[in-house]
Amino acid sequence: MNAWTKVLLLALLGLAILRLPLPIPAAVPQQRLIRIQSSRYAFSPGEIHANTGDTLTIELVSNDVAHSLSLDGTDFSLSAEPGQVAVGTFVAAKPGVYRFRCTIPCGNLHPFMLGILRVGPDLFFLRGLALLLLALIVGLWRSPTKSAPPTRTAKSSITVLAV
Amino acid sequence: MLRKENLARLLLASGLLIALVLPFAGRWLQNSLSPHTIELHARIPEDGGWKPEALQATVDQPLRLRLISDDVAHGFALGQMDRLPVDLLPGEVKEITITFDHPGTYTFYCTRWCGPNHWRMRGVIEVNGPIQRPVSGQSVPLWVRLGLDLDAPHPAAVAPESKPAAKRGMALLAELETDGKIYDQDYYRSHAPAQVWQELRAIPSLKDRSDAQLWDVVAAIWQHNTDARSLAEGQKLYAANCAACHGQQGAGDGVFASKPPPDKKASQGMPTGADNPLKAPADFTDSASMLGASPALLQGKILRGGMGTGMPMWGTIFTQEQTWDLVAYLFSFQFEFNLPEAAR
Amino acid sequence: MSARLDLTRYKSLAGLLRNPWPQFLIRILALAGFLFTILAGLLGTPVGSHNFAIIFVWIAWWSALKLIFIPFGGRFWCSFCPIPMPGEWLQRGGLLVRGNRTVGLGLPWPRRLTGAWLQASGFLLVGLFAAVTLTTPRVTAWMLLGFLVLALTMDLIFAPRTFCRRLCPIGGFTGLYAQVSPLEVRVKDPQVCATHSPKTCFLACPWGLYPLTLKSNADCGLCLECLRACPSDNIAINLRQWGADLHPGGRRLLAEAFLGLIMLASALVDAAVFLGPWGWLKVAAYSVGSRSWWAFSGGFLLLALVILPAMFILAVWLSARLAHPQLDLRQTLAHRSQVLVPLGLMAWIAFTISFALTKAGTIPSVLSDPLGWGWNLFGMAGQAGTGQVTLLSLTVQAVVLAVGLAWSCRVARRISASLREALPLAVFAFFFNSTMLWLLAA
Repeated sequence: MNAWTKVLLLALLGLAILRLPLPIPAAVPQQRLIRIQSSRYAFSPGEIHANTGDTLTIELVSNDVAHSLSLDGTDFSLSAEPGQVAVGTFVAAKPGVYRFRCTIPCGNLHPFMLGILRVGPDLFFLRGLALLLLALIVGLWRSPTKSAPPTRTAKSSITVLAV
Repeated sequence: MLRKENLARLLLASGLLIALVLPFAGRWLQNSLSPHTIELHARIPEDGGWKPEALQATVDQPLRLRLISDDVAHGFALGQMDRLPVDLLPGEVKEITITFDHPGTYTFYCTRWCGPNHWRMRGVIEVNGPIQRPVSGQSVPLWVRLGLDLDAPHPAAVAPESKPAAKRGMALLAELETDGKIYDQDYYRSHAPAQVWQELRAIPSLKDRSDAQLWDVVAAIWQHNTDARSLAEGQKLYAANCAACHGQQGAGDGVFASKPPPDKKASQGMPTGADNPLKAPADFTDSASMLGASPALLQGKILRGGMGTGMPMWGTIFTQEQTWDLVAYLFSFQFEFNLPEAAR
Repeated sequence: MSARLDLTRYKSLAGLLRNPWPQFLIRILALAGFLFTILAGLLGTPVGSHNFAIIFVWIAWWSALKLIFIPFGGRFWCSFCPIPMPGEWLQRGGLLVRGNRTVGLGLPWPRRLTGAWLQASGFLLVGLFAAVTLTTPRVTAWMLLGFLVLALTMDLIFAPRTFCRRLCPIGGFTGLYAQVSPLEVRVKDPQVCATHSPKTCFLACPWGLYPLTLKSNADCGLCLECLRACPSDNIAINLRQWGADLHPGGRRLLAEAFLGLIMLASALVDAAVFLGPWGWLKVAAYSVGSRSWWAFSGGFLLLALVILPAMFILAVWLSARLAHPQLDLRQTLAHRSQVLVPLGLMAWIAFTISFALTKAGTIPSVLSDPLGWGWNLFGMAGQAGTGQVTLLSLTVQAVVLAVGLAWSCRVARRISASLREALPLAVFAFFFNSTMLWLLAA
């Protein structure tokens, strides 16, 4: 088959690796209460783990200035100041890795005040690893008809390494 | 060749000139479009606070301010004036206009917590003008009139074993009032709960009531002298201004309770140091202390601040009514009130 | 031999490239913009996300550099970079064409300081202060001003473009990654050059290069002065396959391996600091001078100068041992460092997508209010939302990393005699990219 067919097949394979739904046994959804402390410029805990379908109640406490916690890709957002704890609940329906961040400017490193919420097993990373493995194989693959690349024919000196 | 080179040099010079002049030209244009506008920068107190800290204005002449935050979320509000605070997010510029009716000294302050020294972030506006009408004078605060010593400890000689509930004491209070006893605002403000309890204990007709029942009456008296609106307002003020140090549950365990002592530079000239070691924020859930304090005493502490401790003075920020609302709310840490918004 | 498409075949395009005016106008724009950026950084709001200096340098320009200029044009940015312009113009004695009165001592650069070592170290040094520089307008402004002054000084003492060739941290990795770009400047027919004298192209080149011997894109700044100077129309601007400068032949320098490794380590650390959930790391990187910052710097340097090089040396050593006959380690180290080029380029592209592209929404609002003084020039001030990391952007990053790995393995295969030799390098690349993926997406 020619090069384009190969590329197409590879693309399909890559797509499958990234998007094919896998039958993962789901854990029982729980109710969790998580108290997150926020300060410049960290959430503590910065990484939260939950099972798919869990109901998460987040308590956001601020330890220095006004901070907020906004979950990427959702409408969930909490704002807290010292002395005013914010509480909110949401259901982690879809598995995946979500970042949450502060959206009230709290200083110069504010755009990088991040945390990670992992819902369910970290499938995306595993898929990514599988994709990398595929890339490794594809990269090392040398079709038998390919000849070694010739060197440039120019007048300048080229030292060819003893191979 | 030369002409092309000269043209090139001209273009280069023009381009660079535009780039150099743009900020200043823009600034000049901005100032001419909104003349007489004072630029007020907000920074966290450790970096300077309000710049400038002192402003001048004239009665009946609008004071135009351009408010800019240079680091975190701040807010601008004027003490004792009925004006909604203006939120200042970094990078957003807000222009406001204030017109003063009376001459005097006004305090402006920050309304979003911007660090442990947030409460120090204040400035003054001196408003000049002829004194046309007598200003509703700052009357002498009650604690001064009563001759209270704000710094002396005020232990309660007795304390209840469980939280008194106003609801339970209502009936008995009604009886006492029909008997001619007066527990009005003046009485309430100048008496500590423990004091009131002692007086009740001394009433012969109440001899066979239990201690707890008498405490319920005290709670009822306290509730009697406030209302749902005041408690709600007090709760709002507390959450925005006090909870950071005193804790959301009033236990003196707020986020800034354990911070190191205020630095000399920012201490506004108040005595600090060895003779006034930093005390922990007051614990409003501590009955032994709270029940020995009268509303006037608490109001006094709020108005005057805590000399050299981390307790700010609110005299120029809160109105009288707001301070009484706050005091009423503080007692809700001790008493179970039965008003709709009293539920926490 | 991979095909080349000579763009100068198209008369109108060739005309446009030869004409000094388009490039000159772009250069004016760049220099003026640069000056304005410095002013914005010095005078404007200290809030990074609302200052033109921060957004335009670290979001707009950085994205353009990593996502467009380098992958598609190699060192194209260098052709209109404002930093060396004043020095180059003074040295040349004219803005458009060489003048009669040139300024500058023209001393030769010390031999001991050649090679990419200085540039790699410069990039590492800047990286230690990255958390502060990338978020504080004043610091960015002073840094740019410092580069401007340094470049001017160096150009007046040494040959033009000395700063660019020897010191510029950006120039270091731009040159390194330019080797895979699809654009190149080469000579059409060497025979024509053999009989032509004087070598006007060499005299015209501000980089001190001789187009006839140009074998790689690493040092060519695409200024096209040679194209304009050649009387025989013998200079070609070729469109070619990606990665053409990476092949078994050619002499490689150890410094390139060092630079390649520095770039990889910096990608890891920057991803961890800026995109990770570890606030303590961010604060450590930000509080310059504190104990935690020293610890952070120590860790960064350890990774960049010891750990990652050790792993790479191990991979190369294995590769050399598995060869028949066995190879010399030092030469192989330099030679096999080509593998790091596509790996690093794609890793930085993935990082840039997450770090900068997601924040592209701040560009219109900062154009409307560049100094954060409350202006609204284009009516779009105050509309910046915080960039969100979406599944789409994560997927794109994963694909970019996969492409980088495949490409890197392909280069490894191409420059090795057998699969056995290429395998250790491929494994090194795989582990690096897996770590990068974890930092970016997990």
